[in-house]
Amino acid sequence: MDVFVFAVAAAVILIGAMGVVFSRNPVHAALMLVMTLFGIAVLFVQQQAHFLAAVQVVVYAGAIVVLFLFVIMLLGVDVAENVTVEPLVGQRTAAWVITAGSVGLLTALAIRAAQVSLGMPSGTRPLDGEGGNLVQLARVLFSDYLFAFEATSVLLVIAVVGAVVLANRSPGSTADAGEQEHSPTGAGR
Amino acid sequence: MIAGMFAQLGVPTDAPFAVPEVAWSALTPLLILIVGALALLVVTALVPRTLPVGFFTVTTVAVAAGAAVASLGSWDRVTDPDRGPYMAVAGAITLDGFSVLVTALLAITVVLVALLADGYLRREGLGAAEFSVLVLLSASGGVMMALANDLIVMFLGLEVLSIALYVLAGFQGDRRESQESAMKYFLLGAFASAFLLYGIALVYGATGSTNLGEIAGFLARDVPSEQGLLLGGMAMLIVGFGFKIGVVPFQSWVPDVYQGAPTPVTAFMASGVKVAGFAALLRVIVSALSVQAQDWRPVMWVLAMLTLVVGPAMAIVQTDVKRMLAYSSISHAGFILIGVQAASDRGTAGALFYLFAYSFMALGAFGVVSLVARQGDVGVDLDRFRGLSKRRPGLALVFAVFLLGQTGVPLTSGFMAKFSVIGAAVASESYALAMVAMLTSVVGAFAYLRVIVAMYLGDDEEMAEEGTRRVQIPAAAGLALGLALAVTVTLGVLPSTVLDAARDAVPARLSPSR
Amino acid sequence: MDNYLPLVVMLVLAVVFVFGSLVTTKFVAPSRPTVAKQDPYECGIVPSREAPQRFPVRFFLVAMIFIIFDIEIIFLYPWAVYHRELGAYGLIEMLMFSVAVLVSFLYLLSKGALDWGTVKKVSPLQPLRTSESSIRRVGLEGRPSRPSEVGAP
Repeated sequence: MDVFVFAVAAAVILIGAMGVVFSRNPVHAALMLVMTLFGIAVLFVQQQAHFLAAVQVVVYAGAIVVLFLFVIMLLGVDVAENVTVEPLVGQRTAAWVITAGSVGLLTALAIRAAQVSLGMPSGTRPLDGEGGNLVQLARVLFSDYLFAFEATSVLLVIAVVGAVVLANRSPGSTADAGEQEHSPTGAGR
Repeated sequence: MIAGMFAQLGVPTDAPFAVPEVAWSALTPLLILIVGALALLVVTALVPRTLPVGFFTVTTVAVAAGAAVASLGSWDRVTDPDRGPYMAVAGAITLDGFSVLVTALLAITVVLVALLADGYLRREGLGAAEFSVLVLLSASGGVMMALANDLIVMFLGLEVLSIALYVLAGFQGDRRESQESAMKYFLLGAFASAFLLYGIALVYGATGSTNLGEIAGFLARDVPSEQGLLLGGMAMLIVGFGFKIGVVPFQSWVPDVYQGAPTPVTAFMASGVKVAGFAALLRVIVSALSVQAQDWRPVMWVLAMLTLVVGPAMAIVQTDVKRMLAYSSISHAGFILIGVQAASDRGTAGALFYLFAYSFMALGAFGVVSLVARQGDVGVDLDRFRGLSKRRPGLALVFAVFLLGQTGVPLTSGFMAKFSVIGAAVASESYALAMVAMLTSVVGAFAYLRVIVAMYLGDDEEMAEEGTRRVQIPAAAGLALGLALAVTVTLGVLPSTVLDAARDAVPARLSPSR
Repeated sequence: MDNYLPLVVMLVLAVVFVFGSLVTTKFVAPSRPTVAKQDPYECGIVPSREAPQRFPVRFFLVAMIFIIFDIEIIFLYPWAVYHRELGAYGLIEMLMFSVAVLVSFLYLLSKGALDWGTVKKVSPLQPLRTSESSIRRVGLEGRPSRPSEVGAP
């Protein structure tokens, strides 16, 4: 069962990742990314990391990809880049070398892991002890990391104010060009 | 009955949750800053018409001054030998002389920045509400860094401080330089944050805790099984903090960002952000990792040496005064690093005093620049300062004092500041560094003197042709410059109060007892 | 992992439904395309140019609202699981967090992030406006590709 779930999730992740790289349309690439992230969430569930799985779906597959899509739409999906010129000389060659190196390393690691430590028990405390890791997380979040938790709210406020400041330009600047068409008299700001 | 249901569901009902003690008194200055900013935001949201700039200036000054007073109010409590420093919110923050002093300094910085920004925001027609909120929240991030007794809190504080500043740097969105400044600051800042976060992860891996007190305790008791992990983590932390405080070789963003950002924001970067960054460096590296001093001291030595040489060398070739001051802020970071490198209580006190003195000089100097600049924040070339003494003798004199203070002329705070860090370096037997520091401060003096010479001996004829527009000095900015001047001169003549306070403000190493 | 069985069933159903619909349409529905049918639907007005490719930047504020509530949900999740043990203390801490988030939401609202009536609000009725000019505006002036706009970063 475990192997089956892993195989399906891994296939979903790999297909999604391939889709991200090979899609011509950036919107399709972003949607493929959702697929990859969803597969990773399944793997988290398999590892009993329920909170991480939820974060993966809610924040990454939800919020982050939506932000990606917004940015793509803000910039315009029809803006195609000329891919025949190389901005950095030797970029392609370097990409091939690095890819080959990574694949080699991963293969070596996989072979070594198969020989030595497959299925070795983790040295740390089992995550699922004492009522699941969500409860443990809640305990530390509301005790040791309470200050950090509350500080995050300040970060969110700054993000909102910053977005308003940066998104609301006075009429005439480039960032506002699209909006001006909406309200011919300039939205009064 | 409910307990029975939970038992069936596998949720533990034993081990009741221990509510951590939230010492509200420790959080007062921080809460004043944050609640003040949120209240401003609510007022902006609910009042239908645009409120005048003056309202926001007064509110920001009141909030920041309140935070400063609230912070200094607990000075007696934390320096009292019987009661001493204490932790709050489950050991996440420490209240000691260090955090009290740094918090107060940050809050005073905000007061001066708000006063300087008042005239600036009117002149440029920018939104005062967002500016005030972002400055207050940014300062609250700095306060979090000063209080932090945990690397995660430290990181969050740094992000709160930085993200607000990325926006502030791009606040004047109509100006291309401001946009460029925000973009550069954001990209390099995010890069530095990544380094810092990775360093935190490695240090956690090596020591088993993110709590600074527990890290220090662990290192005092045991040797980590993975020394490389700890060293790598320390290196990453130093790179991350090095970016934020702008020391060579992580200084490349400083000139462009300082030059492009709105000048009051630049003043805040040079004062508040440096204070917070060095506070973090002192707390994490010098205090918590003091056991590893033999590892990080040589690194700090090299960084300080490079910064001391490169900063002044680049400053003297600048013709733009704002850019020159940016390079000079790099060289001052080098001087403060001398105190860090000393790895002693004396060095920490020297660095703190230097930060205190430099903050006011930087605020004053950038404040003058923001007044001399024309609308659009342009025209801060050296030529524009030519003959300033004839047009505005008072302003020229004030600027001269700030520049002389940065040179390190006796009877200004700059002299005492340089004296205290170089003294600490000598006490820690870093003679070469002390020698280089003295030599480069002579080299750096040329950059400042060039401006002073231009102001006093330069011809005013070109400016006269352009139209005799007198430099306007709004009352709020005048007040800010007066305060900065008073501190600069007072610390030069009677430094003992702040020097003693800095000596008492060595970071405490507290560990949550469990 | 048994708890996730409903999710898996849901997922399978979704996939089956989507592909089933697509395949069924392909085989059952007659395909007689005309030019008018293949045009994008724009409220009954015949589009005379490509649909706009760039969103106004104001949409970004909507994304911002989404993000802040998303993050809040993530923090609510552990609290919701453990709130009985945390009791009033947990409620107060969570409320402190929520208030800060709601203040920023209030601010966003006041800045018109959810205000879609900008045209209604700011432009008074122009005497020169006729039905012809209005239709022309909607149809032609969707997003004119001015040089400044195309070259903008």
